[in-house]
Amino acid sequence: MNDSEPAPLIPEEGEVGFVDFQDFVSAEPFRFVSGGTIPELRLRYETYGHLNAAKDNAILICHALSGDHHCAGVHGIEERKQGWWNFMVGPGKPIDTTRYFVICSNVLGGCQGSSGPGSINPETGKRYQLDFPKLTVQDMVQAQSLLIDSFGVDRLHAVIGGSMGGMQTLQWAIDFPDRVGRYIALASGARHTAQAIAFNDTGRQAIISDPAWKQGAYDPDQGPDQGLAVARMMAHITYLSDVGMESKFGRRRRNADESKEHFDVEFEVESYLRYQGASFVSRFDANTYLYLTKALDRFDLHSPDSLDATLSVVTAPGLVVGFTSDWLYPPQGNREIVEALLRLGKDATYAELAMDFGHDSFLVRAPKLYELIHHFLAR
Amino acid sequence: MSPIDKKRQADLQIIARWVQSGERVLDLGCGRGVLLEYLKQKKSIYGVGVDIDFDKILSCVKRGVPAYQGDIRSILATFPDGSFDRVIFSRTIEQLDDPDAVIAEGLRVGRRVTVGFVNRGFWVNRMNAFLKGCHTINEVYTKPWYESAPSNQFSISEFESFCHAQKIIIENRVCLAGDWRSECALLPNLLAGYAIYDIASSD
Repeated sequence: MNDSEPAPLIPEEGEVGFVDFQDFVSAEPFRFVSGGTIPELRLRYETYGHLNAAKDNAILICHALSGDHHCAGVHGIEERKQGWWNFMVGPGKPIDTTRYFVICSNVLGGCQGSSGPGSINPETGKRYQLDFPKLTVQDMVQAQSLLIDSFGVDRLHAVIGGSMGGMQTLQWAIDFPDRVGRYIALASGARHTAQAIAFNDTGRQAIISDPAWKQGAYDPDQGPDQGLAVARMMAHITYLSDVGMESKFGRRRRNADESKEHFDVEFEVESYLRYQGASFVSRFDANTYLYLTKALDRFDLHSPDSLDATLSVVTAPGLVVGFTSDWLYPPQGNREIVEALLRLGKDATYAELAMDFGHDSFLVRAPKLYELIHHFLAR
Repeated sequence: MSPIDKKRQADLQIIARWVQSGERVLDLGCGRGVLLEYLKQKKSIYGVGVDIDFDKILSCVKRGVPAYQGDIRSILATFPDGSFDRVIFSRTIEQLDDPDAVIAEGLRVGRRVTVGFVNRGFWVNRMNAFLKGCHTINEVYTKPWYESAPSNQFSISEFESFCHAQKIIIENRVCLAGDWRSECALLPNLLAGYAIYDIASSD
């Protein structure tokens, strides 16, 4: 219909500023869905804002494959790079730290301080490497629930995440219906498409076929950097869109020097991807990459019975957001979640944003996304 | 509120009269979710809105109304028979391709379908065409042809013949005068500006 509403007022924004991570340690053995155990669970996390007396204003943010617990603010004066969702989290921002107590933890299996294949097994004093148990999204969520327990929080105001974080978010709504007030899953899906699995496996093969991988038993300083960089370069392409890459790089050349080696960096896009590959290697563990991508490939809300059967336990209102240019987790895969929820008579909303940034659109500051999240959290 | 906004709420009260408390309602072409919000408050319904436009979905979120951004026919196809007590098309049918197929889908998914539409047969709406042979511009049809979206307007008598031919049962009908407020019983095809129907499948 041809009705319209006045433009919204965006409140004054501030920054969360300097932040520090903390470590949650559970000395109890942690059991995985696969049956495997680790003797203790460690999760590195950050929090922003304050938990209120009723302990009902906590929001959990779940990060994506290459993300971590540092989603807002900066660690120090030298650090130029802000947390990965800084535009979304802070005073006056959609995830408003003057109202909410925001928690973001490095995922179980991760490599930024949480228990994972690269962390030390306290029983052996050695890195787990491939002895780390098979990992699922359910395990990630189970581990996060222990962290949430440690704050004395029974029920989260909301769980939010994009991509792998969106899958964790959905898993939260399924595994802990009584503990989730509302949930927002962005650019995710109920399961990987064949194409997504294919890309992941090509990335894994790049790592595994790097001689430095050594069946996962590499020294952290001499890991399969080549393989991991190639995996990251390829994955990074799947996070962008053809239109986005065209407008960002086109056929622009790095420099016009024709005397260089034939296969040196020539185009801007090559330079960009090689940089992405190289910088990823400096902060990411190859075995974690294998474990996390495998967990994502196995994630399947259509199993064991059907998507409707899996989602039937959900009670919280949900918002699922798809992005038109996302070809890794395409709109249809997001939409089908809400279609199933609506068939089940649940309170669910599907919104689709026309953005050119591909899968990574949820990481891009866009006024419409901003407003959508703000209002859904406030409802 | 502008006069046309006030008019837009014409079917709110009438539909609220027909809706049973606690009904499951699917509003196709829900716009900003005003109708569903109203029905939720007055009749404690479970309501879902569908609209193609992001900004409309955002307004639904602000109102706390669950909504689905997408194509009406695609979402209808995902629902089993009789999923809703009522499927509403409030000034939506005019915008759709294949209205007969969409209404049939509505009748499959909902036990009852509510249709609200501007009566093309209303004498005021006939005037421009009749006198000048041109596109109608008045309080309801506000824009010239070159600024308008394609719209498939129809009259009360056309709608009723359609229902008759399709063996669709008309359970309720309210015709409103040109002000879209007072009921109009006399010669509605000529004198009513707006009509609202409750229809159901005969099988």
